[in-house]
Amino acid sequence: MKRLLYTILAILITSIVFAQSDLMQKGNDFYSKDQFKQAIDVYNQILMTNVESPELYFNLGNAYYKSKQYTQAILNFERAKLLSPDDEDINFNLQIANQHVVDSIQELPGIFIVRWWNSLINSQTTDTWAVISIITFLLFLTLTGFYFFSRTGDIRRISFWAACLLITFSLFSWSFAAKQKSRLVGHNYAIVIQPTVTIKSSPSEKGTNLFVIHEGLKVRITDKLDGWLEVRLSDGNKGWLPTESIERI
Amino acid sequence: MKKETLKKTMIRKIKILLILMLVVYGAMADSTQFTMEGPNVIAVGEQFRLSFTLNESGSDLQLPDLSNFDVLMGPSTSQSSNFQMINGKTTQSMSFSYIFVLRAKKEGKFTIRPASIKANGKTYESNSLDIQVVKGQAPQSNAGGQQNNQQQQEEAPTGNISKDNLFVRLALDKTNVWKGEQILATVKLYISQNIPLNGFDDVKLPTYEGFWTKEIEVPQQVNFTREVYNGKIYQVGILKKTILFPQQVGTIRISPFEITCLVRQRVRQQQGFFDDFFDNYRVVKAKVVSDPIAVISKDLPNQPANFSGAVGNFSFSGALDKSNVKSNEAVTLKLTVNGSGNLGLINAPKIDLPQDFEAYEPKTTDHTAASDKGLSGSVTFEYLFIPRYAGSFTIPPVEFVYFNPNTHQYETRSTETFKINVQKGSDDQNASVVNSYSKEDVKMIGKDIRFIKKNDPKFITKGSSFYASFGFYSIYFLSLIAFAVIFVVNRKKIKESANLALVRNKRANKVALKRLKEASGFMKNNQAEQFYESVIKALWGYLSDKLSIPVADLNRERASMTLFDRGIDQKTVTELVKIIDDCEFARYAPAAFSGTMNEVYDGAAKVMGIFEKQIK
Repeated sequence: MKRLLYTILAILITSIVFAQSDLMQKGNDFYSKDQFKQAIDVYNQILMTNVESPELYFNLGNAYYKSKQYTQAILNFERAKLLSPDDEDINFNLQIANQHVVDSIQELPGIFIVRWWNSLINSQTTDTWAVISIITFLLFLTLTGFYFFSRTGDIRRISFWAACLLITFSLFSWSFAAKQKSRLVGHNYAIVIQPTVTIKSSPSEKGTNLFVIHEGLKVRITDKLDGWLEVRLSDGNKGWLPTESIERI
Repeated sequence: MKKETLKKTMIRKIKILLILMLVVYGAMADSTQFTMEGPNVIAVGEQFRLSFTLNESGSDLQLPDLSNFDVLMGPSTSQSSNFQMINGKTTQSMSFSYIFVLRAKKEGKFTIRPASIKANGKTYESNSLDIQVVKGQAPQSNAGGQQNNQQQQEEAPTGNISKDNLFVRLALDKTNVWKGEQILATVKLYISQNIPLNGFDDVKLPTYEGFWTKEIEVPQQVNFTREVYNGKIYQVGILKKTILFPQQVGTIRISPFEITCLVRQRVRQQQGFFDDFFDNYRVVKAKVVSDPIAVISKDLPNQPANFSGAVGNFSFSGALDKSNVKSNEAVTLKLTVNGSGNLGLINAPKIDLPQDFEAYEPKTTDHTAASDKGLSGSVTFEYLFIPRYAGSFTIPPVEFVYFNPNTHQYETRSTETFKINVQKGSDDQNASVVNSYSKEDVKMIGKDIRFIKKNDPKFITKGSSFYASFGFYSIYFLSLIAFAVIFVVNRKKIKESANLALVRNKRANKVALKRLKEASGFMKNNQAEQFYESVIKALWGYLSDKLSIPVADLNRERASMTLFDRGIDQKTVTELVKIIDDCEFARYAPAAFSGTMNEVYDGAAKVMGIFEKQIK
């Protein structure tokens, strides 16, 4: 009985997956024929089934770009980048799409070591870091075994230090994976979707107007208070804006 | 006799000459013209001349039916001839005229059918003539002019001529047009028949503001023709003809213009005696002003992107001057727009040249002529370009989009696709440049996003990841458990084998002593063979137990190596090897063996004693 249930479940899941790749193909065909509106519809249909993939977001972003909806294009390129941070095509298209953003924000340079550290973390996805963590952990166990069971002094010495190194590496990879995962799940970054948004000094309409930003800009969400979000721009400026004016990546 | 023959030949010669002349006449016969001329418009009761002209002498003039008119006089004939000598070539033209004076009897439109005449034995027909006969005009009254004469003291007083008798009019062939559509505007001066016009004093012709204009040439000398306007016959002179192209949208007003005419007027003054006999004429100025007129110009319906601005009816063609060229050789693409419309306002069509071509601004030349039918002719656009690299190139068809006001639609004409085959040029000027192999940066022609990813993606549920999943943790957990199990099992096994070795180690001496005891028994009985065998067994067995090496794997080298590792000195090991050698010699080659059983026994006991002390 249980086995039958599992079989049915497996068939269902595979059929959904098949339907999705069929839809993906259909969307790509529409795109190739310059029917971008239809392509957008089809890609969004796939997203409705609660699945995602960097390719899907990338293609959707492309379709939005071609139909001149640059803000949506940026949003989807950013989502694709989140899933696949080191993809060259995604970064290139995101850069092109960002040229349509009105605001030019001078990014804070940051400390070199922090920047380097962040770019190291961003160089791999959550799952890659997770796999690296597992592999190094398994190697660590093997070397620990060598250490314990080898009679030769040299092998024991080498395996000891290597094991120490590997377990450190494994732990760091784990923490990187955790960090990437929190980025993915936390949705702490957002794109401004309203044409112009006035940033307030406090979470209410009465707050002082601090500055104005335009659609397509990427902001980091740092706090929230009923219907208002505190955002931080890459140049370090902070302020409050209504929740509906931005969309989380 | 002789005279007769002479006469005959003379006659023959004349005959030939006549025949030749006839032939020449026959050849010239086509140039014979017979025309009928008369006024277009006349009033009832008015006399007019109807003349027939032939450029040959003719006979037997057959008049057409003239029953609608009274023939008052005619025909009166007149003849004129004209000799011309140009560059020694003499031409002669003659004309014979037959003139009739007719009078119109009733109103209506009449067509005088062609007349015919015989000339040179052939019958020629004239053209036909349409004559419109209108109601008789009231006799011209000059009274108005006379009454005011007394008040006019200036040398050129303004005449008072009623608007009915002298006016100007701007005639437009249409007033409701598309922007850019051509309109024929004619400035006409209407004068009543019996007002003599002396000339013009001040002519202010209209300035067509809001239009692009093109003049049609009219003769300097104003020709007056008769025309009926509002049921009256006027002499009409065309002062100016212009083709107008509206450049604005909406109602465009053409402001009134004025012309001052000099009209001869008869004045009758009662000052002099002779005045009654001689009419006294004087010239008066008559200023006439036209009525304002408006043109409604509609904007063109939604213009296509590649609209050339042309409005009218056109044909379009294009040609390359050569399709096989060498690189760095100039090629000209000539596009010609032919037709009627606003030819001067056409933008040069855009052509899509291959990127590597060096292109220059197009040169525009136009050959246009303005006539009553509008502005027509052709505009030529010459595109000069230079292919810089060899290869086969294609220029896509060039499109020319214009608006046709007759169909109210945009029409597109396009050329065919042009193919250019560029071969590598071998000109010397460029050789030096080529030698340096100048490299070129890849030109970024446009910037665009990269194409979509076509590979089949791996879909994952949103927000899910391998990290922190059940599988992720279970791999850690299971590998740890596996490690622990392997560790424990291995440890146990090592412990067990260590115990076994210890037992054997402990037991080794005992077993060896037992074997040695056995050997000493053999020694006493002088059983040499058995003695040596048990000594060697005792030694090997002892080493095996002590060193945890199976007997089968044990040999002299391995044993001595292991013993060295365990810290046994060289001397003892050599002694052990010597004892083993002695035993084997004694067993297999007793003749070569010189020692005694006692020596061997003592040696073995001594070595084992040392081992027992030193190997733990």
